[in-house]
Amino acid sequence: MSVRALKGNGRWWALAGCLLWLTFTFFPLYWVAITSFKTPLGVVGGPTYIPFVDFEPSLSAWSELLSGQRGQFYNTFIASTIVGLSASLLATVIGSMAAYALVRFTFEVKLLSAVIFVVIAFGGYLIGYNFLGLRQGPSLIYAFVAALSLAVASSRLRLPGPVLGNNDIVFWFVSQRMFPPIVAAFALFLMYTEMGKMGVKLVDTYVGLTFAYVAFSLPIVIWLMRDFFEALPIEVEEAAMVDNVPSWRIFFGIVVPMSKPGLIATFMITLAFVWNEFLFALFLTSSKWQTLPILVAGQNSQRGDEWWAISAAALVAIIPMVIMAGILSRLMRSGLLLGAIK
Amino acid sequence: MTRNDPIKHVFIWPALLIVLVISIFPLIYSLTTSFMSLRLVPPIPPRFVGFGNYIELLQNPRFWHVARTTSIIAFIAVALQYIIGFAIALALNARVPGEGIFRVGFLLPMLVAPVAVALIARQILNPTMGPLNELMALFGFPNLPFLTQTKWAIGAIISVEVWQWTPFVILMLLAGLQTLPDDVYEAAALENASPWQQFWGITFPMMLPISVAVVFIRLIESYKIIDTVFVMTGGGPGISTETLTLFAYQEGFKKFNLGYTSALSFLFLIVITIIGLVYLAILKPYLEKHK
Repeated sequence: MSVRALKGNGRWWALAGCLLWLTFTFFPLYWVAITSFKTPLGVVGGPTYIPFVDFEPSLSAWSELLSGQRGQFYNTFIASTIVGLSASLLATVIGSMAAYALVRFTFEVKLLSAVIFVVIAFGGYLIGYNFLGLRQGPSLIYAFVAALSLAVASSRLRLPGPVLGNNDIVFWFVSQRMFPPIVAAFALFLMYTEMGKMGVKLVDTYVGLTFAYVAFSLPIVIWLMRDFFEALPIEVEEAAMVDNVPSWRIFFGIVVPMSKPGLIATFMITLAFVWNEFLFALFLTSSKWQTLPILVAGQNSQRGDEWWAISAAALVAIIPMVIMAGILSRLMRSGLLLGAIK
Repeated sequence: MTRNDPIKHVFIWPALLIVLVISIFPLIYSLTTSFMSLRLVPPIPPRFVGFGNYIELLQNPRFWHVARTTSIIAFIAVALQYIIGFAIALALNARVPGEGIFRVGFLLPMLVAPVAVALIARQILNPTMGPLNELMALFGFPNLPFLTQTKWAIGAIISVEVWQWTPFVILMLLAGLQTLPDDVYEAAALENASPWQQFWGITFPMMLPISVAVVFIRLIESYKIIDTVFVMTGGGPGISTETLTLFAYQEGFKKFNLGYTSALSFLFLIVITIIGLVYLAILKPYLEKHK
């Protein structure tokens, strides 16, 4: 550590730069916090900066918000919390297992099998929808099952053509995030509606929203965790393998504890993504499982420029993330996690 | 390096299945509708038009304008994020005084919902009641049109993007910096290498792989920008700050022109793929040189 520490003047320049950035970072947050304690008159009268000196703080915006005059804040808050925590936990677990597999195990997928999957999924859907008179939902399910089973079966055969390796699979996962979310959101809404017609209600349900969030967090989890796993020394795992420890125990007993900082950082990023996500929540929920960003965004269009109320509503969405950041950064710094690496 | 073990299927199939299920339907649905003329309001029966939607789009000057605006916002914002983020990550890694406070504080913006950020930005940038107006009035420029004139509005959107996403760059680069081995720096210090030489000779090359990944993620995400623009300017004035996703939103969910929207999103996908491939192709020789 000491080698890279700054010496002399550089240290103070760095401090000045950091303080400047800190001001830039904190001013908007400070501003929203004090605005939520202003009265309507105090906002319209021009900018004021320091409570008790510049203006007399008032709790009117908060009492309005908490008494439920501005929408179902409690339900929305609880829904956001449940969906956010479970989706990011699931995504981190499933994603890091896949990332570990892609770093340590050999995967070979024949390009032809992948092509078979895509062709049969598309063809089966089009045939089912246009010629067999099936509706979108069933034709999609049949096409998916047929495509998947044929693709898996075909991979057992000795097919010609190039073979895709681990990096290609990672690239495929990551490329999912390139897809413009607006169309994915709308298509998902249509798919969920079709499922609803078949008796499986997914629109405005916990399962539907969480599932969508897990799927759209997985690419980023896999990419981030792959970098962390690749940086781990393989010697420890090799030593365990010599002792015939099964792979799942190597993963959960050795790899996961060693990569806790990475896992926590990934979980944190995923949770922030899910908590703040706007587009999917807009399409996939209507009332019961509506999340906070939707409610907050609605404040402006419903009431106009009522900054005192909008600030209070925005803070409800902001504060939990701030608390979480505090807790997690404490965890990251404490010996509890760092000690595990040794 | 890698080994073979049947358990690998247990590890990878949950992720694979979920992503397959949830990615294949939007793909099938939007690719098939992009070749059709399909409107929900007023409902007209779908009609096959081949590449009609694509040709119409490529001839629409609005598409090119929107693509240009999105690129300007994405490239400038990501460049600033990377430069500022790297500088701050270096300072934090070098144990600047008060590093613990900075470390927590700097991460906050990333965790704030973009919708909320945009609402705060609107308050601060308000041309009569906002604090920034008061600051500018001190310098003799009162009532600047921050959100209602093209150049100011684009600048405002870029600033909000930089404010919100530099923390992501800091977080990733700091994690990368901490994995760099100390002995290289000890050797460099023995050779009396200046900090400037150490940075360009050791830190920057060793950080190149993670830098490439971070910039790539940010670039792709920036191209998808909608909520900030939507709340801050609504694409205005006129269409001068409209981005690709906002354009798709307007076409798809105001006009319910689904075929056109799907074609637009595939063009969007192609644009992003080309940018991604060019980016990786340019950087590949450097990455391999430093492996």
